[in-house]
Amino acid sequence: MVLEFFKGNTQSGLAAVQATIVGMLRDGHDVFMAATDALFGGGKSKQTKREVRSTDKDINAAQRDARRLLMVHAAVNDTDLLLVLQYASIVKDAERIGDYAKNIYDLVRYGTNFDTSEDSAELERYRDAVAQLILDAAKAFEATDAEEAQRLIGKADGFLADYDDKVKEAYNYEGPTSEAVARALYFRFLKRTTAHTMNVLTSLVQPLDRLDYYDEAPEDRD
Amino acid sequence: MTDNSLGLTGSDGLGGSPIVAGVSDRIPTWVRSVLVVFLLYMFLVGVKLLESGVKGLGDDAAGGLFEGITNPLAALFVGILATVLVQSSSVTTATIVGLVAAGVIPIETAVPMIMGANIGTTVTNTIVALAHARRTDEFRRAFAAATMHDFFNLIAVAILLPIELLTGWLHQEAAAVARWLPGGSDATFNSPIKGAVSWGFHQIERVLAPLISNVTALSVTFIGVGIGVIFFTLAYITKNMKKLIADRIERSVNASLEKSGLVGMGVGVVVTIAVQSSSITTSILIPLVASGVLLVRNAYPITLGANIGTTVTALIAALATNSIDAMTIALVHLLFNVFAIALTYPIPRIRYVPVMLAERLAEVAVKRRWVAVAYTLTMFIAIPVAGIFIFS
Repeated sequence: MVLEFFKGNTQSGLAAVQATIVGMLRDGHDVFMAATDALFGGGKSKQTKREVRSTDKDINAAQRDARRLLMVHAAVNDTDLLLVLQYASIVKDAERIGDYAKNIYDLVRYGTNFDTSEDSAELERYRDAVAQLILDAAKAFEATDAEEAQRLIGKADGFLADYDDKVKEAYNYEGPTSEAVARALYFRFLKRTTAHTMNVLTSLVQPLDRLDYYDEAPEDRD
Repeated sequence: MTDNSLGLTGSDGLGGSPIVAGVSDRIPTWVRSVLVVFLLYMFLVGVKLLESGVKGLGDDAAGGLFEGITNPLAALFVGILATVLVQSSSVTTATIVGLVAAGVIPIETAVPMIMGANIGTTVTNTIVALAHARRTDEFRRAFAAATMHDFFNLIAVAILLPIELLTGWLHQEAAAVARWLPGGSDATFNSPIKGAVSWGFHQIERVLAPLISNVTALSVTFIGVGIGVIFFTLAYITKNMKKLIADRIERSVNASLEKSGLVGMGVGVVVTIAVQSSSITTSILIPLVASGVLLVRNAYPITLGANIGTTVTALIAALATNSIDAMTIALVHLLFNVFAIALTYPIPRIRYVPVMLAERLAEVAVKRRWVAVAYTLTMFIAIPVAGIFIFS
C-alpha cells in the first residue's frame, strides 16, 4: 500500500477510470450477448440468469470504483474538474448497458423467443449491430480515438431511426399481443443501449454540456 | 460553432472533448524537478539568512525580541498563533530552527513553540471543513475529520508538555539522537549541505551589504528576507511537488482507502514528506471523508502519519545551520509526534479518543453551525492571543 507511492508506470487517476469504463463496456457487451442469446433460442436457464445478474453486479461495482477514483482524483487535483465531470457523466452511461441487458433477459423470463419468428434473422442482425457497436466503442474509448468515435456515432445514429420505426411497426403488429409488446420493448431496449453507447462515444468528441442527447430525436438535440 | 446532422458541435464535429485533450502540464516534469531542488536550496539559504540576521542584531537586541515568552505556555500560544497566521507549521518550525540556531531562543522555550505549531497547523483543515457547512451529513463527517487532528494534538500536548517541563525528557532524548547523528558529536552540527548554503548566503550578503551600511538595518533585512524566502520557497516547493507526484498521491490514497492503521500512517508520512505540508495531505482527506468515500477512522492514521511527515521540514532546515541545538529542536518535533502516537495509538481503548471527541463536537456543530465558527475562532485566535497576553 505505502509502496504504491514508489511504484512507477502503474495506472493512476484518470487512466484507471478510463480502463474501468472500457472494462464496463466489454462486460456490457458480454451481458448483452448472454441476454440476447437467450432471446434467440437459448431460452431461460438458471445459468444464464446467474450470468446476467452477476455480470451486471460486476458492472455496478466497477461504476462505484470509477466514482471513487474520480472523487480521489478531484480531491488531489483540484484543477481537473471538467475531466472529472465528463467521466462521471459517461460512467453512468456505461453502467446502463448492463441494466438494459437485464431488461432484455426479463423478456425471455416472460416467455419471449424470437428464434421462432419469421423475421428472426432480421431481429438478430439488429442485435449483432448493437453488440458490435459496444465492442467498437470500447476500442475507440480505450484508444481515445476521436475520429473513430465520430464515425461510430454517425453509423449508430442511423440505427436509432430504425428502432423507432420498428417500435411503430409493433403497434400495428397483427400477431399475438404478447409478441407485439416483446418486439416494442426489444427495440426500445436496443435503442436505449445504442444511445448510452453513443453517449460514451460523444465524450470523445464533445465537451460536457453536449453529452447525453442521443435518446432524443435529431430535431430535439439542440 | 456549427451543428452537423449528428448534433455534434465544431466545424469538423469534434467540439473539444477534455478526455481527448487530456491533462497537460505547461511546465515539463524535469523543469519542475530542477525548480524544486533550487527552491529547496533557497529554503535552506532562507534559514541561514534568518539565523545570520538574528545573530547580527547582537545578543541583547535579539534576546529582547523573545524576552517576554520565556514562559512555556506563552511559547506554546506563540507557536499556535504564528502557525495560524502563516497557515503553515513548516514555516513556523523552520523559523524556530533558525532562531534556535542563532541562540535567540533556548531549546526549553522552543519545545512548547514547536508543540504549538503542531496545534496551529490544523486550522487549515478546519477551514476546509467549514466549506461543507451547508450539507449536514457532509459537514458532520468533514468537521469530525478536521477536528480529530486538533484533539490528537491537544491530547499530545496535554501529556507531553508537562512531562517535558518537569523532566526535560523530550529535548534530552532529541539531544542524544542529535549527538548520535554524523557530525553531531561536536558542539556544532556539521551538516554536509551547510557549505553550499553558506555560498548562497554570501552571494545575497554581497548584494545587500553595500546597499545597507548599518549593521542593525542589514540584520533586520536578513531576517525579513529570510522569513520571506522561507515562506515563498515552502509554498512553491509544496505546489510543485504536488504537481510532480499527484499521480503517486492518488495511487497511495486509493490503495489505502479501505485500509487502516499502519498502512494509512505510512501513506500519511510518505505523502507529507513528499509535499512538505501536512495541510496538503489532510486537506485531501477532508472532501473524501465528507463524501463518505473514506471513513473518519480510516482517515485518522493518515492524519497521524502527516503529523510525523511534516517534521521533515525542520530537519532539513537544521541541515543549513551549524547548530546542534537546531538539530535537537528539529528532532524534538519528530520525537514529540512519534512519542504521542506511540503513547496513544497502540492501546485500542484510547486509540480513537480524539476521533470520538471530534465526532461529538461535530454533532454539536451540525445542530448549531455557529459553534463550528466559534470553535475555530476561539481555538486558533482568541485563546492563543489571550494566552500570550496572560503568560508573557
